[in-house]
Amino acid sequence: MSRRIRIAITIAVALLLVAPVLVDQDGFPLSTYPMYARTRGDVVGFVTAYGVDASGQRHELSLATIGDSDDPLIVAGELRAAISAGRADRRCAEIARRAAATAGLHSVEVVTERYAVVDRVASSAAPVERTVHASCSAEQA
Amino acid sequence: MSGRPARLALVDAEAPPERLAAFRVVIGAFVVAYLLIRLPVFAQLAHRTDGFDGVGVFIATDRPLPAAAIQMLLAIAVGAGCAFIAGWRFRLSGPLFAAAVLGLASYRSSWGQLLHFENLMVLYLLIVGVAPSADAWSLDARRRASNEVPSPDRPPTSYGWPLRLACLALVLTYAIAGIAKLRYGGLEWMVGDTLRNHIAYSAVRLDVLGADPAPLARLAVDHAWVLPPMAVGSVLVELAAPVALLGGLYRSAWVAAAWLMHASILATMLVGFPAPLFLVAFAPLFELEHVPARVTSGARHQM
Repeated sequence: MSRRIRIAITIAVALLLVAPVLVDQDGFPLSTYPMYARTRGDVVGFVTAYGVDASGQRHELSLATIGDSDDPLIVAGELRAAISAGRADRRCAEIARRAAATAGLHSVEVVTERYAVVDRVASSAAPVERTVHASCSAEQA
Repeated sequence: MSGRPARLALVDAEAPPERLAAFRVVIGAFVVAYLLIRLPVFAQLAHRTDGFDGVGVFIATDRPLPAAAIQMLLAIAVGAGCAFIAGWRFRLSGPLFAAAVLGLASYRSSWGQLLHFENLMVLYLLIVGVAPSADAWSLDARRRASNEVPSPDRPPTSYGWPLRLACLALVLTYAIAGIAKLRYGGLEWMVGDTLRNHIAYSAVRLDVLGADPAPLARLAVDHAWVLPPMAVGSVLVELAAPVALLGGLYRSAWVAAAWLMHASILATMLVGFPAPLFLVAFAPLFELEHVPARVTSGARHQM
């Protein structure tokens, strides 16, 4: 390969890599790498799902039950995307199907909980706000 | 005045074929292991129908692929990956493996969550997959030797330049990540409470999803005074990535600093970037062809 072609390809690769920065558009496999780059307040909303028993008591579900994955980034990201797209009910039904094997669960709730995160880590503080996006039966699913 | 063009470190870099071959083996083995470990995650994508939003090579579509296509893509990726490592029919297996992993990673990212640590390994595969990376340490080379076919007569830049392209991708990736923190977070990212809040955020995210938090999250939040210097340090490490291209001590010092940064992120946020943590991301910066001899010699000294 001639030197000119190597120079042209090198410049093209460099331009491709910095292009997302120039147009401020994240993508794959060319990215602006925005993960954890923004400032973050200390009160933050988290999406998750709980199992609820007949007495109304909430129970934690596993990552695999909530998101059919062992990766919290994937589970949280996909659940957030489902809620944003108005698909919380369908995602709730999927979680309920996976949770059906858990004894004593009456229903599943897909929620956003807002926490003062530093207080939560330091002293297990309760959420400051809870929004239920969907609730579905774990028994009928 | 000489008519010879000035030497450019990026395009005129020379290397023996064994160095590029060693990088082929390292990145190929790493990605195949990654695919096999993450096989359940990729396999369950085949059964999803809801929530697809194409990115990467699927940017133009909002319809998921049929289950059989995903299963076939996975099989092709693992099969081509093994051929890639062994350097078997590399003119086909090299580009095929790179394309299959690009497709799989794009598809996995098309369900609402980009995993940025997959970007660099895909870029490496795309470079190594189309370069003459199997001219040494490969079944192709062995077959040529046994058939008494001469090895391809390529200049040393054919092997050095692809490695420098991979190095360019590496340092630009880190520099862009540093620029993003200044662009989106500003000085507040470094001197304010941002890093403490990110660590606490990651711990609570794991907590509400029923997983265990990072081992040092609580300690870091309780001793938050240590975090602004760490934040400044991590931005400096990212922005300083191009010094690794200078080689020698500069390279080694930067690699050590970058590895420590990733180890700290893992310990405080439980966010693991596998390629840097296993040093695979930094592999093109080093003369990998000497590693087997050094390992063998070290083992002999210990006997």
